[in-house]
Amino acid sequence: MNAPAVVTDALSAGYGGRPVLTDVSFAAAPGQTVCVLGPNGGGKTTLFRALIGELEPLAGSVTLSGRPAYVAQTERTRLDFPVSAFDVALMGALVRGRWWLPPRRSDRVAARAALERVGLGAEADTAFGELSGGQRQRALLARALVQDSPVLLLDEPLAGVDPASAQQIDAVFAELRAEGRTLLVSSHDVEGARGFDLVLCLNRRQVAFGPPGAALDRATIEATYGRELIVLDEAGAGRAVTVQHHDHGHSES
Amino acid sequence: MPSPIDLADVPFLREALVEVLLLGVAGGLLSAWIVLRRLAFFTHAVGSATFPGLVVADASGVSPLLAGVAVALGYAGGVERAGRAGREPSEATALLLVAALAGGVVLASDVFESGAAVDRLLFGTLLGLGPGDLALSAAIVALAAAASLTLGRAWSAIAFDPDGAPALGLPAARADFLLLALVAVAAVAAIPAVGAILVAAIYVLPGAAARLVTRTIPALLACAVVLGLAEGVLGLYAAYWLDLPPGPPVAVLGALTYAVLALGTR
Repeated sequence: MNAPAVVTDALSAGYGGRPVLTDVSFAAAPGQTVCVLGPNGGGKTTLFRALIGELEPLAGSVTLSGRPAYVAQTERTRLDFPVSAFDVALMGALVRGRWWLPPRRSDRVAARAALERVGLGAEADTAFGELSGGQRQRALLARALVQDSPVLLLDEPLAGVDPASAQQIDAVFAELRAEGRTLLVSSHDVEGARGFDLVLCLNRRQVAFGPPGAALDRATIEATYGRELIVLDEAGAGRAVTVQHHDHGHSES
Repeated sequence: MPSPIDLADVPFLREALVEVLLLGVAGGLLSAWIVLRRLAFFTHAVGSATFPGLVVADASGVSPLLAGVAVALGYAGGVERAGRAGREPSEATALLLVAALAGGVVLASDVFESGAAVDRLLFGTLLGLGPGDLALSAAIVALAAAASLTLGRAWSAIAFDPDGAPALGLPAARADFLLLALVAVAAVAAIPAVGAILVAAIYVLPGAAARLVTRTIPALLACAVVLGLAEGVLGLYAAYWLDLPPGPPVAVLGALTYAVLALGTR
C-alpha cells in the first residue's frame, strides 16, 4: 500500500477548548474513497475543519499529503453573492498563492476546464445564486478541481441535489479516484456508503472504521445513529435507512 | 435656493466639496467590501464607538484624529477577538456600541460640559474642515484603492465562503482584521464631515444600494463609487441650502437611493 494521503491519530477537535469529536484514528491511501457517516452534530463537519487546519487538534494529530480541497455544504454558501460560476471556479486558483495579483491566464484556463468537467461549461457566466442546487454544488466542485489537491473533502455533496447533478458528481468522483486522489465524503446515506472503499462512522467519537462490508454491521449503525435510525430488517441483515433530519437552520458543530 | 456654483466658489464649501468627493470614492470602495463581508453593523458601531474618545480629545486638547483612531482600532480588535472566541459578533458589537454612546453622553454632559461640540462630533460640520481632514481622507482613498486591488480576490473568496477559505490557504483572519482596521480608520476620517453616528451613510449605504443592481464585484465597486460621489455632492448642496450639517442629508439621500432601488428591483 502507498503512503497514506490522510492519517489522523487519536484526533480530538472542538470549539473553545471543548471537544465535540474525540479519538479519531483512521488512514486513507491515494485513490481511496472514504464515506464519513454520522448523525447531525456527530462531528463530520468538525472532522473536516480539523483536516483543513481551521481547527487546531485538541489532542492527537493530523497528517495530510497536501493541502486538501474542501467543499462545504451548499446551504452555507451565499446565494446573493455577486459572482458567476466561473468566478467561483476561479477562486480555487487562490490556493497557488499570489492572491494579491490578478488571476493568471493558466488559472482562467483551469477554471474553464473544471466547469466543463462538471458539466457547467454553458453556465460559466450565470450568477451563482441563479444556478440550481445541484449546479451550485457542481460549481463548488469545480472550484475544488481547480485547487488540484491530492485530498478532497466534501460535506454532504449529494444532499438536496437533483439526480442528474448527482450522477455527474458521482462520475467526477470516479475520475478523481482513478487519478489517485483521496476523497472523504460525508453523508447520511448508509446504503450509499457501501459503494465506498472505506467508511468512517462518527458519533462524537469514532464508532467504526474499515471497509463497508466489515464495518457496517447493525451494532455499528445503531451506535452511530442511535434512535435516528429505522432499520429495515426484511431487506437483509445490515440494510438500514436513516431518518433524514433536514432542519438546516442549525449548524453542525 | 443657492447657486450650485457656490460649491466651487465659496472657500469653505470648496473644502467641503473636496472632502465629500474623497469620502465618496473611499466610501464607495469600502462599502462594497463592507456589505460583501457583512460588516454593516460593525461599521456603524465603530464610528459611534469613537464618540467618547472624541469627547475626551475635544475637551483635553488631544488630537481628535489620534483619539478616534485609537478607540476605533481598539474596538475593531475587540470585535475580532470576540468573533474568534466564537461569540456572536453582532451581540458584542451592540453591547460595545451602547456602552460607547452612553459613556460619551455622560462624559460630554457631566464631565466636560462639551456643549455645542457634541453636535459637531455626532453629526459633522460644513465649517472648519482643515487640510488635515482632507489629507486623511485622501490617504483613506489611496488605502481603499490599494486594498481593493491587492486584497480584493482574497476578500471576495473569504466573504463568499468563510468555511472554505482556510482550505484555499488564504490568511482569512489577517485579511479580516485588515478590513476591520481599514474600516475603523476610514470611519474616523469621515467623522469631521458627517459625524460619528452617521458614518454608515458613507461606508454602508452606497455599497448596499449598488448591491441591488449589480451582478459582479467590479460592477459593484464602480456603482458604489458613483453612488457615493453623487450622494456626497447632492447631500452637501442640500446641507448648504437647508443650513444643516452635511451628515443628515447625505444619509437621507443614501437611504432614499436604497429604497428606490430596492422597490425597483423587487
